[in-house]
Amino acid sequence: MALRRLFVANRGEIALRIVRAAKSLGIQTVLAVSAADRDSLAAREADRAVVIGPAPARASYLNANLLVHAALATACDALHPGYGFLSERAEFAELCETNGIIFVGPTAESIRTVGDKLSARALAKTSNVPMVPGSGMIESAAEAQRIAAEIGYPVVTKASAGGGGRGMMVARTANDLATGFDKSSHEAKEAFGDGTLYLERYVERARHVEVQVLGDGQGGILHFGERDCSMQRRYQKMVEEAPAAILSDAVRSRLHQAAIQLLAPIRYRNAGTVEFLYDMDRDEFYFMEVNARIQVEHPVSEEITGVDLIQLQLAVAAGEPLSLTQDAIHCQGHAIEVRIIAEDPQRNFAPSPGRITKWQAPTGAGVRLDSAMFDGALVPPFYDSMIGKLIVRGEHRADAVERMRQALADFQIEGIATNLPLLRAIVAHPDYLANQIETKWLERLILPTFGNSKGN
Amino acid sequence: MTEVKPEDVEALVEIFDQSDWSELRIASSNFQLYLSKDAAQRDRHRVAVSTPAAPSMSPQRAAGSLSVQHTTAASTHAAAPADAAIPDGMQAVRAPSLGTFYLAPKPGAAPFVTVGQRVEPETEICIIEVMKLFTAVRAGVRGIVRRILVADAQMVEFDQPLILIEPAD
Repeated sequence: MALRRLFVANRGEIALRIVRAAKSLGIQTVLAVSAADRDSLAAREADRAVVIGPAPARASYLNANLLVHAALATACDALHPGYGFLSERAEFAELCETNGIIFVGPTAESIRTVGDKLSARALAKTSNVPMVPGSGMIESAAEAQRIAAEIGYPVVTKASAGGGGRGMMVARTANDLATGFDKSSHEAKEAFGDGTLYLERYVERARHVEVQVLGDGQGGILHFGERDCSMQRRYQKMVEEAPAAILSDAVRSRLHQAAIQLLAPIRYRNAGTVEFLYDMDRDEFYFMEVNARIQVEHPVSEEITGVDLIQLQLAVAAGEPLSLTQDAIHCQGHAIEVRIIAEDPQRNFAPSPGRITKWQAPTGAGVRLDSAMFDGALVPPFYDSMIGKLIVRGEHRADAVERMRQALADFQIEGIATNLPLLRAIVAHPDYLANQIETKWLERLILPTFGNSKGN
Repeated sequence: MTEVKPEDVEALVEIFDQSDWSELRIASSNFQLYLSKDAAQRDRHRVAVSTPAAPSMSPQRAAGSLSVQHTTAASTHAAAPADAAIPDGMQAVRAPSLGTFYLAPKPGAAPFVTVGQRVEPETEICIIEVMKLFTAVRAGVRGIVRRILVADAQMVEFDQPLILIEPAD
């Protein structure tokens, strides 16, 4: 069944991206906007925009009933949730389906299976997808040492009753474990009233790698290569690349297979991402989680494969068979995305909403901008501070990095503070050029000095 | 109201001129007309003829007793005319959220209010339904219901004017 009219339940750049993708497929669009987004670019480009509620997200973009009511009242046959907001709420998917609206996403059941940490781990286990080696409950230091010898050092102790770093200790040798075990157990007992510990392999230097997939809901799963999203601040990604240049071909291939192995048994439908932690020292990867939605960083995968993932999402949501085969998907070149955020890195990333007085974006071959901003646009204070994504594509990594360096130099945003100066510093850093970073690199090496530097 | 033609305005002025009325006020979502035989009142209500789409008329008429304001929706897409002009002396009751507007508590029942009816701030004047959840909307002001802007069972958007009430002194 071909989609006729699509309800877009999101805002910002992804709303605009979805509206345009739908348009190019000949699908009409109705966009939900809050009172703060009446004049957004997506509202102008959609066939119709309906104001669903006041600015705060809980009264607008997070109100499932309002969204489904509006989709029904405007005679839409499908709803695209974008990312964030309600995109991974199983009850929302269910509400759409029970009201006869196609949810452009996985089934509610799939969302539950992969969204819950325990059931996702259970799925990984039955699918033979590697996870961080760990133990069950441990009684004594001696038992810990015996198990650590199997897991391999370094290991980390964790409290079974809670997190937050209490009861956690990294042990690099058996001796470390002998001296630290009782102390950690005591700390856990103090914090949670339960001193039970378990062990996990500790990943000293990690990369965040993830595989982009698309499932047709019948058990067919395609992958579109992997991404490296190791440049993070407080688990927020800031720079993403495809492919993950650090991986060997053998590991890369196993990574792709692991993602497919995980999602094929549940007949996953929709675009999705399987996230892994890559242990640089052991050259192994471990399953972390599934993101059952289109992701912010999907454009880098599109750039190296030449597909439009949003269009494919709409096609599988409509129940169309996959028009692509895995053999037809080739990863070529290297793509990098940086997230432009309205936060001031010089002021500890304080949000900086306000009026954009100048928005001069870079253009040129291999440069793509996914953004709904423009000269005179207002960045409202109610939502996520990401205001755009700058994406470049090059023949190889060095080529792409150079293109990004140039594009960032050309980018001018005035009226609000942004992270552009930080992004410029990152792509000019020798470690980044040499691709010698890991998930803590940004916080450890750049941010401590960057906050003190003046201007840029 | 559909497109207002200059001839329509001229016809209204004609009727007004020949009547014994001292004032005439007409308003819809995209059009406002105020006529008065009192020059002082006209000056109080005078507003710029705001768009080129405003009806043009004979200079004699234009300079005379007319004050016309044409409000056009900001864009054809921004469906909620939240900023649509509310006539002077009127207060709009607006939609608290998107939903379906109902004038009666159930199909076939008498409407909560009718034009000309007096209401108190606590008077329920309509309901907004969102996925079978019904929210009563109250007048919020003491006055007289002057106009119901939305047809029964229509979808309304957040902040959309629903009913005009002329507050009582």
